[in-house]
Amino acid sequence: MTERIRALRALIVERKAHRAFRRETAVDPSPYRRAELKDFERTALRLKTFLEAETPVILPEERIAFLRTLPDIPGIYTDAEWAEITKDHYIHEQGRVCNLSPDYETVIRKGLRAVLGEIDAADAGENRAYYDAMRTSLFAVIAFAARYAEATRAAGREDIARVLDKVPAGPAETFLEALQSLRALHFCMWCEGDYHNTLGRFDRYMLPYYRRDLAAGRITPEEAQELIEEFFLACNRDSDLYTGMQQGDNGQSIVLAGMTPEGEDGYNELTDMCLTTSAELMVIDPKINLRVNGRTPLSLFEKGTRLTRLGLGFPQYENDDVVIPGLMRLGYEERDARNYVVAACWEFIVPGAGMDIPNIGALPFAGVVNRVIREKLGEIRDMDDLKTAVREAIFAEVRRIAAGLKNLYVIPSPYLSVFFEGCVEKGRDIASGCKYNNYGLHGTGLATAADSLAAVEEMVFRRGLAPETLIAAMDADFEGYDELRWQLKNECPKMGNDEDAADGLACFLLDAFADAVEGLKNERGGIFRAGTGSAMYYIWHAADLGATADGRTAAEPLPANYAPALNTRLNGPASLIRSFTKPDLTRVVNGGPLTIEFHDSVFRDGEAVAKVARLVRSFIEGGGHQLQLNTVNRDRMLDAQKHPENYKNLIVRVWGWSGYFVELDKCYQDHIIQRVELTAGA
Amino acid sequence: MEGVVFDIKEFAVFDGPGIRTTVFMKGCPLRCQWCHNPEGLRPEPQLTVSRAACTGCGECLKHCPTPGHCTACGRCVPFCRLGLRRIAGRRMTAEALAEKLLRGRALLEESGGGFTFSGGEPLMQWPFVREVIALLDGVHCAVETSAYAPDAVFREVMDTLDLVMMDVKLTDPEKHRRFTGVDNAPILRHLDMLCAGSTPFIVRMPLIPGVNDETAHFEAVAARVAGAKALQRVEMLPYHKTAGAKYGMVGLEYKPEFDVDRPVRIDTGPFERRKIPVVTL
Repeated sequence: MTERIRALRALIVERKAHRAFRRETAVDPSPYRRAELKDFERTALRLKTFLEAETPVILPEERIAFLRTLPDIPGIYTDAEWAEITKDHYIHEQGRVCNLSPDYETVIRKGLRAVLGEIDAADAGENRAYYDAMRTSLFAVIAFAARYAEATRAAGREDIARVLDKVPAGPAETFLEALQSLRALHFCMWCEGDYHNTLGRFDRYMLPYYRRDLAAGRITPEEAQELIEEFFLACNRDSDLYTGMQQGDNGQSIVLAGMTPEGEDGYNELTDMCLTTSAELMVIDPKINLRVNGRTPLSLFEKGTRLTRLGLGFPQYENDDVVIPGLMRLGYEERDARNYVVAACWEFIVPGAGMDIPNIGALPFAGVVNRVIREKLGEIRDMDDLKTAVREAIFAEVRRIAAGLKNLYVIPSPYLSVFFEGCVEKGRDIASGCKYNNYGLHGTGLATAADSLAAVEEMVFRRGLAPETLIAAMDADFEGYDELRWQLKNECPKMGNDEDAADGLACFLLDAFADAVEGLKNERGGIFRAGTGSAMYYIWHAADLGATADGRTAAEPLPANYAPALNTRLNGPASLIRSFTKPDLTRVVNGGPLTIEFHDSVFRDGEAVAKVARLVRSFIEGGGHQLQLNTVNRDRMLDAQKHPENYKNLIVRVWGWSGYFVELDKCYQDHIIQRVELTAGA
Repeated sequence: MEGVVFDIKEFAVFDGPGIRTTVFMKGCPLRCQWCHNPEGLRPEPQLTVSRAACTGCGECLKHCPTPGHCTACGRCVPFCRLGLRRIAGRRMTAEALAEKLLRGRALLEESGGGFTFSGGEPLMQWPFVREVIALLDGVHCAVETSAYAPDAVFREVMDTLDLVMMDVKLTDPEKHRRFTGVDNAPILRHLDMLCAGSTPFIVRMPLIPGVNDETAHFEAVAARVAGAKALQRVEMLPYHKTAGAKYGMVGLEYKPEFDVDRPVRIDTGPFERRKIPVVTL
């Protein structure tokens, strides 16, 4: 990190001094909230109004400009209008365009003026109002960049001004111009009111600019590294204004390496530079995804693992060997499947071509299985019967969910639409659809569901427990049934311990899910995709579930994403990986990672990094689709002291040995917590 | 044949080369004052209670068939709502253990790792360990041992294992007896056997403040192992205060006769001067 970057980092991340430029002034929505204006006209006019109200600010030392000074973007509708719309429409999340990956690559290369030319060429008159909205939006962005150029010039920053004279209106030629163009385009996406739209394959679309500069002697690798650092920092300055479920949940993810649309290996020198940058800066944006496959060199896994060691919770790994065939099976064209990126969290989407809504609903595995057990176990004779009943229930639930997704309304985004295939050509807003219009369904509580079925198999069908007794115990939330509950939890197979008796049932459940969505169409002509994620659904689905047959009490949460049930005593990470790579994950590629947590002391020496890297590779080679590793931190340990029952698997390295954190006497727990605090502060 | 195992740890990254699965065998003839695995001392399965989070609700007592005299029957275990009670030590057949271990062999072998038998003192159950190893299909096997065992057993160990990691705690016989409860003559004899033999081995030196962290000890060990052709390296394991963490769990009191707060002196000089590879873990 250079002195300049250190200073910028201190300003943005530590002192947050850039926030001093924020103004309380609210944008007046009356010019664009006019009854006679169509929705897309309102969005375009709002972008213009908002950008005109923004004030250019240049931070000392920066070379890549654009900073938000107006925190709030009032909606295009009044509350009354919105209430009217929501009455007879299905609204996804906040109703705005989200979770997509714009084709920044093309627009950076061509420039916005070229896009305006395409708009003019496509505009045959009958769709004039919409094309005008696109034009209004792009002119607003170009004018805003021109104001920034003027302001930087006035501030004596001719270097920035010269770049902004060219981009984003014109084609970027240098690495710096491409980064500034991306910064401006991405910044204006937020100003249009869109959210959770990702930065995509950064190391791929930036590569030509870097290589050209390098060949022309215009840049050194060190200078390029510094610019990437600055760009990454820029992603962290307005991010607190970006909407999400939690602070930090803002969708600013990038995807590194992976197969190119042409079928080549996309891992390149920028991949490494991005990984290095992320490790040096220690900031949460952009979130790093690393695309790998069975032939990825161990050294790349090691680079990823060094990042994991820092405790930021990324990179998240995606396996091309599983995701690409999986997407093709769902009907994605080969080039598009190869070009997949990761949406805000983990859903697989296609940049510039997909208007998929990958988190539109969720199948509650645990809820469905629980209902079948409670309602039908008395009349069920064997495991085959039970599985048949569960399969039917999954089909019914998937159809019920699909039937409820009718009359979707998404607020149009004419600006963002220019980044998507066919929108300019057809004069169609991205909100109305694109090349791919598929809906994704998460699957929550998979392990709890599989464990419940495994527990019934063991206790009822093998040991002869009366179904009524099991149901009565569940109804009583296991009050007075401690011994039975203990047997359910400890003597029955659990998903995650490489026991086929439980893992096989998880395979069965995922297959049933994939079968159930097959052939279903949504109202936009798209299909349904099954997945292993949970998003916030796992909290909602746990709420009225009650106790489950795996010995889980009503108050215990469901696991998030693709993970073993909480409170399962696990054999360890290797068994976990073997369990979770048994299902055919190419059939459930909506996304949703297996998460593994390590205590940071696992990474004590360089050899351990190589070993963790091999463990990651074993997941990929075994056919895993997506993996996220965490390095456990102090906050979790403090919580573990308060709720030891939720942290049975928290392993801490104590001396030359490891122990279960909750089993240590308190003074030693405190000791480790203090030690970690020191480690983190150092 | 059955053995008693008190833990199996996957993805052990500090117990020998590569990625390993470590099997903790229950029972140990030594009583080292710095032992950090007190649940591995007694040879038979026993009840452990994590007292740190115990609220004293008393539910467990209601289900005890032999109050005041624990037989490790495990009847109380299901009734602890916080799940703080466990039976440490499980009887397993050699076949069952080998089958369980071999499921993970691919990752271990690919990383140049394997299995490590630790404890407790794994050689206390040598006939069982030997039988398990015979079933492990040639995967790399290591042992972490005090080397306190009959000579005949140790000779077999050297013939069977791919790597022996042995502790050298104290060279002084009197002090050894005082701090570990046993005579060190067989241990030193076995160290000499390793030095003269061809079985790859690692010498591990737990460094205890005021007990064995003086130059004379470092010198004595270095002189003893100098020139051993199968010695891979010497590992220093400085004492850490958390050694006492699990004593409460097995109803023991941790009361070492040395000053746990005194920093440990580490002197690798005697080894370096003799060109013996040495690391501090």
